[in-house]
Amino acid sequence: MIQSSELNRRHLVLVVEDQEINRDILGMILEDEYDLIYAENGAIGMEMIRENKDQLSIILLDLIMPVMDGFEVLRQLHDDTELREIPVIVLTAEKEAELKALQLGASDFITKPFDMDQVVLARVERIIELSERRQLIRSAERDPLTGLYTKGFFFEYADQIVKFHPDWKMDAIVINIERFHSVNEYSGREFGDKVLRKLADGIREFLKDTTGIASRIEADRFDIFCLHRDSSDYREVYDSLQSKLDEMSEKTNIRIRMGVKPYRDGVTPSEMFDRARVACNMVRGSNKDHMMIFDEDMRQMEMFQQRLMNDLGWAIEDKQFVVYYQPKYDIQAEPPKLKSAEALVRWKHPELGMISPGDFIPLFENNGMISQVDNYVWAVAARQIAEWRDKLGYLLPLSVNLSRAEIFDPKLEPYLEELLEENDLSTKELKLEVTESAYTDNAMELIDIIGELRKMGFEIEMDDFGSGYSSLNMLSSMPIDVLKMDMKFIRNLEEDIKNFRMIELILDIAKFLEVPVVAEGVETEEQMKLLKDAKCALVQGYYFSRPLPAEEFEALIIKEMNIDRNH
Amino acid sequence: MTVEDLYAQIDGNYAHAVQIMKKDKMISKYLLKLKNSGLIENLQAAGESLDPVAMFESAHAMKGVTANLGLDTLSDKVSALTEEFRQGSSRKYSDDEVKAMLEDICALYQKTADGISEYEQSIQ
Repeated sequence: MIQSSELNRRHLVLVVEDQEINRDILGMILEDEYDLIYAENGAIGMEMIRENKDQLSIILLDLIMPVMDGFEVLRQLHDDTELREIPVIVLTAEKEAELKALQLGASDFITKPFDMDQVVLARVERIIELSERRQLIRSAERDPLTGLYTKGFFFEYADQIVKFHPDWKMDAIVINIERFHSVNEYSGREFGDKVLRKLADGIREFLKDTTGIASRIEADRFDIFCLHRDSSDYREVYDSLQSKLDEMSEKTNIRIRMGVKPYRDGVTPSEMFDRARVACNMVRGSNKDHMMIFDEDMRQMEMFQQRLMNDLGWAIEDKQFVVYYQPKYDIQAEPPKLKSAEALVRWKHPELGMISPGDFIPLFENNGMISQVDNYVWAVAARQIAEWRDKLGYLLPLSVNLSRAEIFDPKLEPYLEELLEENDLSTKELKLEVTESAYTDNAMELIDIIGELRKMGFEIEMDDFGSGYSSLNMLSSMPIDVLKMDMKFIRNLEEDIKNFRMIELILDIAKFLEVPVVAEGVETEEQMKLLKDAKCALVQGYYFSRPLPAEEFEALIIKEMNIDRNH
Repeated sequence: MTVEDLYAQIDGNYAHAVQIMKKDKMISKYLLKLKNSGLIENLQAAGESLDPVAMFESAHAMKGVTANLGLDTLSDKVSALTEEFRQGSSRKYSDDEVKAMLEDICALYQKTADGISEYEQSIQ
């Protein structure tokens, strides 16, 4: 690996000294190590500093000079926010001048007559090194986009506040922006950055009136550590920050989410922010309240989720995850015909009982642990296809879910190939379901990988279609073989004619894309008939069957085989 | 004639010059520049009027250069003039005494310049 020291350019040194002989002697001492430029008085020196401000590493400055002396140069540098960063070593023979120069911002001094050349070189090198280190620390301390602290420094300072001011009661706040990736995608990165800066300005304004620090932790997540206040105050803080974003654009509806963990003795900043984040995440999907305070219910939820995470590894070994199968029927056939099934996971926990997939799937999707569950389900499903084929002579394709994280896993393709080989299956028998929302970030990269999977022969079903935010333009380039309509369209089907129009619209889109549609969540005969008349190809839902454990599903297959035989 | 011989002849501190400039070649290069530096001429011109600012600036310039060249005796003598005319400090010597100091400096400078010329001839 290249060492950072190897990346260093040769440093540029400006020598401002009126006496040619002194300039030459300094030049002789420094020329092997540095690039040098010279000025014979302060006025010329200032011109050269301005011209070379981005390249200059250090200035060696004589104090007594004609036209403009070194003290005036120091004063002008001090008054200029850009130039004051360039370190200055003064060349002087007088003690009093040394003090005055240091007070005006000089970093060090070289005495006249000059010391041994090594001493001069060592001083110059040390001051350049110190200055570069200071600049490095400064740039690492602040987020360049917003000027707020970076994550590492923020938590360091938060820990220091707790350590040195134990009497300060500090609250933790986490703020993020709803669907920020969509803001970037639809309004452009530049606008997205403007939004982040505006929010940071609002946070800075809030901190003007209170003791606290703030950071942009990553992307659109902001953390604030500030003195405790009442929840009604936080409501005002939320409204004020939201109103700043509302001012930005009438067309774009940008909403922030805010989670607060109020002060509690003995809880570290890191733990406090974990909890504030939990509160902030609770806002997700809720249209009512965009500001949540961490409370007892959330604490219980957090503990429950922690338990699930802790138990996951053991649960897989212990075969606590059970795969259920829900059939998909071709409703255009008469009678409707079993075509395939979706493999769905259930967790039978020995102590907690049956855990809803809604409790553990989103949790594991968020923390990346989902692949442990999915890999297990894929293996069980692949074995099951082979088992029914060998035992009943019936080849029923099964579909399994594929999460975003798995799609980007380079081991995905070899793993799937291995599963097919082990069970002597083809890619047509194991279908892959990818939820629509997975396509929102890094869409092009994801489309490429899914394109590869299709080339291998896998069929891709886009799950929960209509719940995400796919643009029509994007849909046409998405590599999919089946659209699975989100179940909310079916659920509301009989209530409102508008919902039926939505279904017709989705069916039209599918027709345009030349892919069949699976309607999920079909429960009644009326729903089924409406869908059949609307030329929907496939249906999945309680109308035909709830998800069944393998042995019950086997009975369903046998029943289906008998129907086939009688026809 | 060597550079070291020259320093002995002009009351210079050869060891000090070597410490800063390392090689005889470098020392002689900058010594030769001293003759055309205009430093003594500036000091003499200031001495005509005894203008304190001009005296301080010209003495200060000469002090720095001669110190770096290891011409310690000359530098010490000029340094006394620098302090005499430093802004904010009161004068210790009368104008006549200052003129006598100036003559002394000019004489020593002349001796130095002559020595440098002699050295210059010896290496040609």
